[in-house]
Amino acid sequence: MNTLKLYFKSIGMLLRSHLQYPESFIMQTLAQLVMEGGELMVVILIVDRFQSLKGWSGGNLYFFFGMMSVSFYLTELFGRGITGDFPMMVRTGRLDTFLVRPRGVLTQVLCAGTDPRRITCIAVGTAALIMGSTLSGISWNLLKVIALAESIVMSCLLILGLFMIEAVFSIFSVKSVELVNAITYGGRSACQYPVDVYPLPLRALFTVIAPFALTLHVPASWILDRPLYGWPSWTAFVTPLSGAAVFAVMAAVFRLAMRHYRSTGS
Amino acid sequence: MAYIEVDGLTKDFIVKEKRQKGKLLREKKTVHALRGVSFAVGRGELVGYIGPNGAGKSTTVKILSGILVPDGGEVLVGGLVPWKERREHVKHIGVVFGQRSQLWWDVPIVDSYSLLKDIYRIPEGDYEARLKELTQALDLEPLLRTPLRLLSLGQRMRAELCGSLLHRPELLFLDEPTIGLDAVSKLSLREFLKWENKEYGTTVMLTTHDMEDIEALCSRVMVLGHGQKLFDGRLPDLLARFDTVRNVRVKYAAALPDLHLPDDVGWSRTEDGFELSYRLSALPTAKLLSLLEEAGEISELTLQPENTDRLIAAMYKELDL
Repeated sequence: MNTLKLYFKSIGMLLRSHLQYPESFIMQTLAQLVMEGGELMVVILIVDRFQSLKGWSGGNLYFFFGMMSVSFYLTELFGRGITGDFPMMVRTGRLDTFLVRPRGVLTQVLCAGTDPRRITCIAVGTAALIMGSTLSGISWNLLKVIALAESIVMSCLLILGLFMIEAVFSIFSVKSVELVNAITYGGRSACQYPVDVYPLPLRALFTVIAPFALTLHVPASWILDRPLYGWPSWTAFVTPLSGAAVFAVMAAVFRLAMRHYRSTGS
Repeated sequence: MAYIEVDGLTKDFIVKEKRQKGKLLREKKTVHALRGVSFAVGRGELVGYIGPNGAGKSTTVKILSGILVPDGGEVLVGGLVPWKERREHVKHIGVVFGQRSQLWWDVPIVDSYSLLKDIYRIPEGDYEARLKELTQALDLEPLLRTPLRLLSLGQRMRAELCGSLLHRPELLFLDEPTIGLDAVSKLSLREFLKWENKEYGTTVMLTTHDMEDIEALCSRVMVLGHGQKLFDGRLPDLLARFDTVRNVRVKYAAALPDLHLPDDVGWSRTEDGFELSYRLSALPTAKLLSLLEEAGEISELTLQPENTDRLIAAMYKELDL
């Protein structure tokens, strides 16, 4: 409980420091709006041209897009310490200052970064969710709301876990992170469309290695009353837990990497 | 048992060298940062830790503060092994890194302190009392609402010190605390450290290149070079071990007498006296003074203070550091 309080207090403080530079903050937030709005435009154009994709209607596609967008940018909003700032913390020695405090390193890393500019991206994502929900005529009930919330939380954990691969690489001072970007940013771009539009190798990648299909597509398609691969209802609640699993594994790897850091002092 | 016990501490780093032409893999080189360093520090001691760059000072401090895991040797600080019981250990220590900040850049420093209160789980009452005491002692009260980035270097160092002492650490590590500070800031910083040490018995270990820090603060100095401890004792004893040139200026009341001095004493005439330089090994100071007195009535005599920086430089050279 104390840790959560610390986290929100830290984030609150970082928000205030971002607002120390209001002009820059507003400009960058608007830039984010244009960027994510453009992403949504692409989907709208595809829907306009093809009406449907492998049987998914336009409304369905907006819904998938919205879920990915909200999850991804929530992660960047609250997990900036891992998704963006970590390599810098290693280079500048800020990581050392975390080690001389009586708290977990990962906790402190997460407390040390937020990216409030992403709120406009989350707004675009939410708009897409509402648009998709209305166009698809989803009849909402409590279970569906729970499934939606679980899916977004688990996807956030998954995305955080994937970015931690990059963090671990930077501890071992490996600079080329293109491979990692392929499954983080690449995963976001690819998995804003339902996974069954892709050929088998990509489906395998996004089910086993970066399981967006399990955290996002299975529950989302169940909410849309079109279960992916015709899987039963309970899968919509169980498969997203893979996000927590990925995060747990990466947290363990992160600990090992920190052990390496502390013995080499790179 | 002493508060800090270090026995046979070793640490190697593997450094990858720049890739050479025509070779596929980069050559690796092992650097021995520490080769068996041992010492003990009692509670409440003020210890200076000096040595040229790359001698292993920072490595020692990093191991003692739980950041680095050594390759060999044993360390106990207050009964804890720093790298094994990191979280418990760091509750009792404060660390000030000279060049990197522990506070938050863009927010008023008092907000940083409030966050540190939560990080260290300091009870509210203790925090208020300690903050008040430290801000008074460090003259920080008018700066509390100022963001760190707007502070001068001296103010920033005071702010850092306050942040590192809020949780009342038993042991304080200072890594070049006076680097880049002006004379006034240096003096007030040293005064504060003495006060904190006296008031609370805080053990202080400080690495520095500034010999005045050591002279003003430390009852004990350790010299490190090539990863080994070369000296451990009082500063005057260290200086006495190294035979350097000392200077005397003497003026005579009447006409300048002829001086009869040993050959290895250098001298030059000034307007109304002499400037002499001599080595302790060749001529003890007392002997020199009596020679000068014999020559005539002295009106003024100045023994120039030893230039510690020069002494240390000479010492590093002599020890081939």
